[in-house]
Amino acid sequence: MLIVCILLPLLGGALLPLGRFPERSRLRGILTEAVVCLTSVLIAVALFRGIPLEWTLWEVFPGAVIAFRCDGMSSVFLGLIAFLWPLASLYGFSYMEHEHRPNAFFAWYTICYGITVCVASAGNLFTMYLAFECLTLITLPLVWHKWNEESVAAARKYALYVLGAAALGFLALVSLTALGGADFRPGGVLPAEIWAAHGDLLRALYVLAFLGFGVKAAVLPFSSWLPTASAAPTPVTALLHAVAVVNAGAFCVARVTWFSFGPEMLAGTWAQTAVLLIACCTVVICSALAVRENHLKRRLAWSTASNLSYILVGVALMTGEGLTGALSHLVIHGLMKIVLFFAAGAILVRSGKEYVSEVRGFARPMPFVCACFSVCAVAVVGIPPLSGFVSKWILLEAAIHTGRASGIFAGACLIISSVLTAVYLLSVVTAFYFRPLSEENRAWGAEHHDPDLRMKLPMALITALVVILGFWSEPLVTFIRSLVP
Amino acid sequence: MSLWQSIPFACILLPLAAAALTAALPTRRARYVAGFVLLVQTVLSALLVARMASGNESYVYMMGHYPAPWGNEIRVGLLESVIGLFFSLVMTLSVLGGLFVLEQELLSDRHSLMSALLLLLSSALQAQVYTNDLFTAYVFVEIMTISAVGLIAAHDTGRGQVAAMRYMIMNLIGSALFLLSIILLYDLTGHLLMSPIHDSVGSLRGSGAYRLPLTVVVALMCGGLAIKSALWPFHTWVPDAYGTSTPAASAILSSLVSEGYVFLMVKLIWRMLGPETIVSTHVNDVILVFGIIGMISGSVGAIRQVNIKRLIAWSSVAQIGYMYMGIGLGTAAGLEAACFHILSHAAAKALLFLSANSLHAVSGSYRMEYIRGSGRRAPLAAAAFIVGALSLVGIPFTAGFASKWFFAQAGLAYGSLRMILVFAALVISTALNVVYFMGAIIRIFSPADDGLSRPDKRVGPLRYVALAGLAGLTVLLGCIPGQIMAWITEGLSRFG
Amino acid sequence: MLPSWYLLVPILLPVIGGLVVGLCDPVGKKDRPRTWWTGSVLALSLLSVLPVLFSPALELQLFRLSDNLPVFLRSDDTGKYFAAVMSFVWCLAGFYSFGYLKGEEHLPRYYAFCLMTMGVLMGLCFSGNIITYYMCYELMTLLTVPLVMHEMTPDSVAAGIKYLIFSVIGASLVLLGIFQLAPYMSSWSFAPGGILDAEKVAGHENTVVAIALIMALGFGTKAGMFPLHGWLPTAHPVAPASASAVLSGIITKAGVLGILRSVYFLIGPDLLRGSWMQITWMSLTLLTVFMGSLLAFRENLLKKRLAWSSVSQVSYVLFGLSTMHPVGVVGALLHVAAHALIKNTLFMSAGSIIRQAKHTRVDELEGIGKRMPVTMWCFTLVSVGLVGIPPCLGFVSKWYLAQGALSMSGVPGFFSWLAPAILLISALLTAGYLLTVSIRAFFPGKKEHAPSPVWEKCEAPWIMLVPMLLLTALSILLGIFPGALIRLFEGLAGLVM
Repeated sequence: MLIVCILLPLLGGALLPLGRFPERSRLRGILTEAVVCLTSVLIAVALFRGIPLEWTLWEVFPGAVIAFRCDGMSSVFLGLIAFLWPLASLYGFSYMEHEHRPNAFFAWYTICYGITVCVASAGNLFTMYLAFECLTLITLPLVWHKWNEESVAAARKYALYVLGAAALGFLALVSLTALGGADFRPGGVLPAEIWAAHGDLLRALYVLAFLGFGVKAAVLPFSSWLPTASAAPTPVTALLHAVAVVNAGAFCVARVTWFSFGPEMLAGTWAQTAVLLIACCTVVICSALAVRENHLKRRLAWSTASNLSYILVGVALMTGEGLTGALSHLVIHGLMKIVLFFAAGAILVRSGKEYVSEVRGFARPMPFVCACFSVCAVAVVGIPPLSGFVSKWILLEAAIHTGRASGIFAGACLIISSVLTAVYLLSVVTAFYFRPLSEENRAWGAEHHDPDLRMKLPMALITALVVILGFWSEPLVTFIRSLVP
Repeated sequence: MSLWQSIPFACILLPLAAAALTAALPTRRARYVAGFVLLVQTVLSALLVARMASGNESYVYMMGHYPAPWGNEIRVGLLESVIGLFFSLVMTLSVLGGLFVLEQELLSDRHSLMSALLLLLSSALQAQVYTNDLFTAYVFVEIMTISAVGLIAAHDTGRGQVAAMRYMIMNLIGSALFLLSIILLYDLTGHLLMSPIHDSVGSLRGSGAYRLPLTVVVALMCGGLAIKSALWPFHTWVPDAYGTSTPAASAILSSLVSEGYVFLMVKLIWRMLGPETIVSTHVNDVILVFGIIGMISGSVGAIRQVNIKRLIAWSSVAQIGYMYMGIGLGTAAGLEAACFHILSHAAAKALLFLSANSLHAVSGSYRMEYIRGSGRRAPLAAAAFIVGALSLVGIPFTAGFASKWFFAQAGLAYGSLRMILVFAALVISTALNVVYFMGAIIRIFSPADDGLSRPDKRVGPLRYVALAGLAGLTVLLGCIPGQIMAWITEGLSRFG
Repeated sequence: MLPSWYLLVPILLPVIGGLVVGLCDPVGKKDRPRTWWTGSVLALSLLSVLPVLFSPALELQLFRLSDNLPVFLRSDDTGKYFAAVMSFVWCLAGFYSFGYLKGEEHLPRYYAFCLMTMGVLMGLCFSGNIITYYMCYELMTLLTVPLVMHEMTPDSVAAGIKYLIFSVIGASLVLLGIFQLAPYMSSWSFAPGGILDAEKVAGHENTVVAIALIMALGFGTKAGMFPLHGWLPTAHPVAPASASAVLSGIITKAGVLGILRSVYFLIGPDLLRGSWMQITWMSLTLLTVFMGSLLAFRENLLKKRLAWSSVSQVSYVLFGLSTMHPVGVVGALLHVAAHALIKNTLFMSAGSIIRQAKHTRVDELEGIGKRMPVTMWCFTLVSVGLVGIPPCLGFVSKWYLAQGALSMSGVPGFFSWLAPAILLISALLTAGYLLTVSIRAFFPGKKEHAPSPVWEKCEAPWIMLVPMLLLTALSILLGIFPGALIRLFEGLAGLVM
């Protein structure tokens, strides 16, 4: 079953360019959407029916086997991407009518789906690392798709940062395999004797692994690739850089912490202090940089960097509650942030405007888009009863329940970041509604410019889900709590 | 002595004889003979590996009827046969891909000489792989040097001549040092065969006598071979030499010749001197440091290049550094990693040079501005380039990733300075490699609407076969490294 | 007996009414139907609150945020009192705004947010635990920002953003306090005297006291307490007068209610009495009282003067709460009503003056009493009350506050005379900044050799006058017959202490 879920998008995407569809082709869209939807449906069926998703391939190195196995954590991530990928593809069809070479674009886009499924369902550290690296490579053509200076520079930076930093994760991988534990086991895979013999080395390796996998989640000091990558077309930034790629990074860090090294041996040590400090600094500093950023998509990218580190703070707290908060935020933030990017993309496509100072008064010509943006912006700030508050609260609770000063520090950082988030997001909302259109936009702004249904439907659906999850978050939270070892 | 045990002898002699033959033949026939002989050599080596892998012990083969210590002998085991097979395979593919497209680059009366030189080189390589005594090693080292110089000088431009001169001078210096060390060693031990020397050196080390001369021997020997294989700081001749020769030549020179010397060094360290000797004289620490510096400076040099061939040449410097880092660790694991990297680098580097040449064919120049957009004009060649580049960066499922894995495991000495050095070097080197290879790949696929005039050529089918073969080899090494490494480990254990 | 779901009616009725106005009338073509609709919704909402006020406490559990945070409504005495004050005054301010904003743009948006805020305020008053309170508090901030930004000039947008930022900082401090307090709470609902588990608190008293201060500072932002009061003087001059009225008069009380709930129903005054938190808090309130009055005295812009006055007056309430003495608390609660009634009237008259006579500065108000007699009489009467002269409600509250200051225990002795002194000085300053306006309005003074000016009448329309009159009358009435209120508050104070 898992084989199908992985190979279907991989092959479907790879074979797409053979169809040689013309630039504006509905058939390509229908085929792509069919492949993606089918995969999502299969995943959903497997998750709900409890069908085990497993696939073991061959042993590449002694002690390192390529094996896939879905457990509770995988199902959370898989559920998120399975839900979002068809909607993002739908949005992409409408968006890419304004760009070139859509065949290549959708080919890589769909292949990326398959690779992300691989990352989510990796059964051991080795497979996860392999899928992680492949994900970087597959997303590169998407980032440089436009082939202008900006995109190429963004792609180079992305490649350098992520591939370079992944080498740090590689070191941890090799060392763990040598010490006998490339597998995933809840609570850590290495026995206590090995920890006793090589404690300091292992802790240092953990910090390296955190940085190495966390670079995809834009931790400091490797955050700046994410705003630069917003030079890519919006469907790429929306799905990949707000949901799939960065979430993959955070997911990998959570896996490494809980299933490779194990929180028991790390909690209370200098390793935990180091990673918690890194995550907290990212939370605050990236929020501050978002306030200063005037380009809308880059502002959202800094916001993503900051929010991803909320997840990493939850992981770094090394308690079950922290992990619950982290996984909740993974899901909820993914939903909220993708709508924000969708809206920014719709604005870009319809009006050509990219800067916050240029979008004043856009509530009149684009009411639907601005309404969705506003709702999700309020959710990201974390105002109850929208769902952003739920994950934030769980993280705060987890922080205080650790009983240590570091927990209070983490909680304070999260709250400072919320204030900054309110500033940089709600100022955009007020610009939409409470500022008059600028001179050059006045003629354009006299008519309605809301995008077509293919862009509106995903935005509406996901915004509705964000609101509903706020009032009805119990099932999700209870489910996640049950997964945590 | 069964027939198959003569295979190594055939591998050395056959190309030697064919070289003499092709020197007299016209060009076309010469090429076919060269190709055919190399193909036969590859098949024979494969048979040998199959035999050795299925449990046969290493054996000693007498050349002629004079037994040791007066006669000559070669020694054949699993490790040597694997290395020999790889060298033949890469050589065959490079020749297939490069030898038949020489028209535009050489004067016509040199072509047949090229075939002869290539066959000589192949023979010398095989001899170095299988040899068990120092004298033979030295002779064939010299033969390899001369044929290599010839290959470089065949490119009839001013730069080609200068490069050849530089190459010759540096290599002769290296050979001189090597010779000096052989003389000293003979003086100390009275033997030229490796196995007796091993016992002799062992007892010398144990008794503590002649410590200084022994150190000098080790230093000279390693130094000489290091110069010849372009370890930092002896690498300055590389970019010119590899950057200006013909495609087949640069592929073979950078991937096989340097590695032949590296393998010879592995053999000398393991079988002749013994790793304990090297470690006790601390020469290996020097090698380690030089290797690491080479890794980094090679990549740094590559970043600044505007000519794709020179970029690949500088990257060779870095890759040789990897091998010496492995050797410098002084452990069996380090040597095994270095051996694996010999294989992986051979495949990847030949692949890179050949595909770069294909891209050059559709672009008119090796300079980056002309290479721009060649990915659209020759997509399969560009794909091959990507495979090679990814291998050197160390992406999973390529040979380079497996090399990195084995180096990291070799360096894992649980909390020593060495481990930190190796780890740091691997990380920094990966990052640097990403910089210039990603830059090259992006350049290759950028749209090329800049108005430069480019030839409208197509890449020949034989070239595609070679590229596919080398790419397949790279990926194969990346997908089943465990099996290959098992052979290497087993081979090394019986190597001594 | 009312069913418990009835608690949702005063909350949801105005919210739905507001959504209807906002979504169904985007361009605002027809004035009259919209005005009638909004007016009816306001009146109905006020009427719907009444049954809740007169029935015993109702409780209603709504959904859960996350899996362990109940959103919970309950109408206890405190909540009922605040709900009564807020809904009554809000309703009158709404009617006032029909006249004030007549003919302006973007009216549907204003009324939509006005109605929705009323609903959320009811939710605030009837919150049964701190999480529900926090939720309604944040929503209230979001819903009132458009009221501030209504005019859509760059100044008003900047002021709105400043308000937003200050409020968000304040709410974040509150959230910080809530999540730090969570381990010590024994349940998630308010109870008089506090709900902290004494065993869990043991050994961590200092932490709890610090948390109390944080929450006081957080809620104090909305209530205009130093140091986070800066948004008030900026927001009021640029907001429409009807919005300023409710901002000063009612929204600030949301902050007051928050502090009341945290100190008396969440943490409990016994833990805090005599601690450094109480001293700090009291000092801050006294400082604000003094500073607000002083800056109001020096301010020439009328609405800004009233804004500083609010800063000062609301801190009277906070001071009363900080005494943690029954008498002081009674005074504080009385002043809640007094200030709400009085300040709304003051802003309404200021709004009338701005609209009718186009004067915004105090020095332009010569003789305005002759031109707008009803407005200025209301102004004067309530000013008198605010200074603390009988028979207005303001006098009763100030009396109790002073009594509370004199008889409080636990704090260093000098507060007992410092506090009344500051209250007195502030009263004098209040007289100075309010009564001078009245004097100037009614007795303009003759200039030598200048012809007598003609005072043309420009009184406000009746729809703006009636609310003012009602509020003035009520403040005087309650001043003469404060008994019922005092008994209610004494009961409350006894319950929490």
